[in-house]
Amino acid sequence: MLQDAAGAVSARAVAKVDEAAVIRAVQQGDQDAFEQLVRAYDQSVLRVAMNLLRSSEDARDVYQEAFLRVYRNIHTFRFDCSFHTWLYRIVTNICLDHLRKRKVRREEPAVVETTDGPVDRMDTFEQEAAHADPERRMWNRQLGDRIAAALAELTARERMVFELRHYQGLRLRTIGEMLGTSEEAAKNCLFRATQKMRGVLGDLV
Amino acid sequence: MTCDAVTKAIPLYYYGELAPDVEDGVEEHLHACASCREELDRQKSLATALDQRQLEPPPNLLAECRHELIRAVYREQAPAVHHRASDPWGLFREAFHSLWHPGIRFTRPAGAVALLALGFFAARFVNFGQGGGLSLAGTTPDAIVSSIRSVQPDSTGRVQIALDETHRRVISGRLDDQNIRRLLLAAAREPDNPGVRVESVELLKDHSASAEVRSALLEAVTHDTNPGVRLKALEGLKSFAGDPDVRKTLAQVLLKDVNPGVRMQVIDLLIAHKDDATVSVLQTLVGKEDNSYVRMRCQNALRDMNASVGTF
Repeated sequence: MLQDAAGAVSARAVAKVDEAAVIRAVQQGDQDAFEQLVRAYDQSVLRVAMNLLRSSEDARDVYQEAFLRVYRNIHTFRFDCSFHTWLYRIVTNICLDHLRKRKVRREEPAVVETTDGPVDRMDTFEQEAAHADPERRMWNRQLGDRIAAALAELTARERMVFELRHYQGLRLRTIGEMLGTSEEAAKNCLFRATQKMRGVLGDLV
Repeated sequence: MTCDAVTKAIPLYYYGELAPDVEDGVEEHLHACASCREELDRQKSLATALDQRQLEPPPNLLAECRHELIRAVYREQAPAVHHRASDPWGLFREAFHSLWHPGIRFTRPAGAVALLALGFFAARFVNFGQGGGLSLAGTTPDAIVSSIRSVQPDSTGRVQIALDETHRRVISGRLDDQNIRRLLLAAAREPDNPGVRVESVELLKDHSASAEVRSALLEAVTHDTNPGVRLKALEGLKSFAGDPDVRKTLAQVLLKDVNPGVRMQVIDLLIAHKDDATVSVLQTLVGKEDNSYVRMRCQNALRDMNASVGTF
């Protein structure tokens, strides 16, 4: 067991050593290395964008913009933070822009793309409980409705911190680094986000 | 701690983001206070409810994004191609130029894009020229010109051009279809496109029971220039790690591959079936390995096999 753990640690360390070599190769214009770097991170980038923006089209835009910025600016990466943090700083900035623009327009897409195709966000909970009794389905619909309302109450930054902590499992210190703020500020954001959501969802959870 | 302080700390407590001493204080309080425990339960219910709304991207979205990115990077690399080539012949010349200089992976789509554009323009010429007698006989809008064989002007001011064209086709089928399998085997050797090789090897790796697939995987592990492809091929060979031919190749790869990640994975495959030859290969590697993690893995493996770490 201990040996497995040691193996995992050394594998991670090797991956880090490798990654630095790959990044240096990208900085020297190696296209294969760029593709390798993209493939190492692009699934999680797409998932974050999809969950934050709830739209395939917006997630696609974020993906393109983020990796093009990486491509254009990789020569400025100086290894003073991890590449993961650097990349997510780019991704979160682009997502924040999208969220802010959307906030200005007061629009939240009613239909979201899922693995089963486009689904009305209000029906998501019904689908998951297709065989549940009518009362349960009604409750799920209400909950889905209220969660959407609760998320709409959050500021772009609160939503970002909440997404990265709750869904992506990142530590608040890392999130703070990505957003160019302190761990303490990220903690406050998470606290406020949770309080707001509990305020809206209070009697349902 | 007071109930008020604990209530405020509960969200951060739930996410494991409190300082250890504060966390101890919260736990101590929760142990004794039923109403704060209810508060924690509400936090858990909120988290459970929110978990239900996590989305996975639609299945094809990732592949589409990767494809678009390649095109966008190409445009970044060679903006001049798009601005300079305003006429079909300009596109045509540049397309040929890029096909003749395929050193960089992204130049191939450049050629394809421009040649597809040529197909489009060619189709327009056919329509335009129907009254005037200009004809690109048999050229279809999705045709890709691969080479010009001859250019023959005549006395009337016309020119006859003989060209070869290839046609893009989309073929779909199941992996157990022999034709699909054959195409994938060819794609796994596609020299200029590691992305295609990775996807093909990814699909083939679950079919290593077939001798020809296994042979393609071994070839990829030994000769592919892209470490991602080599790692994928190694995954496919996992269930044949006991096969003598596979082991022989893996031993050679272990001693010559430049990528430490690949070497680590080869070690894992080799030590799944312990034999004297493996001991000897690992002992040789320990002596020359310059990556400390791989060397450590190697030494641990030798110790596990009760073998000496060096050849002495």
